[in-house]
Amino acid sequence: MKSFLRSTSSATDPGSPPASARPARRLYERVSDLGSAAQASVPGAYAWAATVAPAAWSRGGGTLAKATAVLALVALAGGWAAERRWGERARIASLWGFVLASATTWSAVPAALAPLRIDAPRGLAGMLGWALFALALAAPSLQGKGTAAPAAGDAEPLVARRRLARGDAPYLAAAALVAASLQTIGWRVAGAERALLVRFVALAAGLALIDAAATLALARHARGVRRGVRLRGWMAAVVVLAMLLLSGLLFALRG
Amino acid sequence: MIQLPDALAISFAVGAAAAFVLGELAFADTADLRAIYWLAVGTVSLRAAVQLGRRGAKT
Repeated sequence: MKSFLRSTSSATDPGSPPASARPARRLYERVSDLGSAAQASVPGAYAWAATVAPAAWSRGGGTLAKATAVLALVALAGGWAAERRWGERARIASLWGFVLASATTWSAVPAALAPLRIDAPRGLAGMLGWALFALALAAPSLQGKGTAAPAAGDAEPLVARRRLARGDAPYLAAAALVAASLQTIGWRVAGAERALLVRFVALAAGLALIDAAATLALARHARGVRRGVRLRGWMAAVVVLAMLLLSGLLFALRG
Repeated sequence: MIQLPDALAISFAVGAAAAFVLGELAFADTADLRAIYWLAVGTVSLRAAVQLGRRGAKT
């Protein structure tokens, strides 16, 4: 790690050897030369191998499932090859081709997606692969020194407008930890609909927790002007919460 | 030093997280009514935490 940091950071030093001489820097430059579709094809291939291929070549996977699985891989590779020539259009065609072909594969073998046939590590690996694929496609692609457009004042280091306040990270880290642990529940549920519902609820609850943690962390720095304005708001929420808890308690005692 | 309302907000958020976990466990257990109850508790608790944490904020 240290050697990588040294090799990437010292590339801008005037006295250091040329950047192309450093292996890590050279690898970064080579990855940067690829387009975003090509960069996304690595996690895409991983997601395909974790979720599409096992479904297509599982017991009961017919010719249609296998053909569309191969088609998905072809669409992914085609995006890599065609992006240099057709740019954005090739990237979009590759994305939709890959996603639709994968969806057709899953539709052709619905039994392969049954929770009892997908173990938790493979399910998590598939989720991670698709998330990385989406992120790599949506985020701006890496750009090397040679391909990036020169910006004004590029030679001078940028000065931060303000420092990030301390203590925000634990809020987000705790929320992310809870959101991640919510994803570990319900992997042995029987029935595809129930399994999907559990996953959807876990995702929504995790996002809500992370959003609330970010709001709480940011609100600590923005106080002082309208103190007490939202008093009624939180008291109303607390009253509703108390009523809910009380009714739950009464219901439990009665049952 | 952490203020009392902030500590309350954090405890509401922790309660909400626990309620969400219980709700999801109940969903996995096919106990829908219990799941909806815990999810409602979690949502309201999270709302209280955010409202309490944002009291007096400029935004």
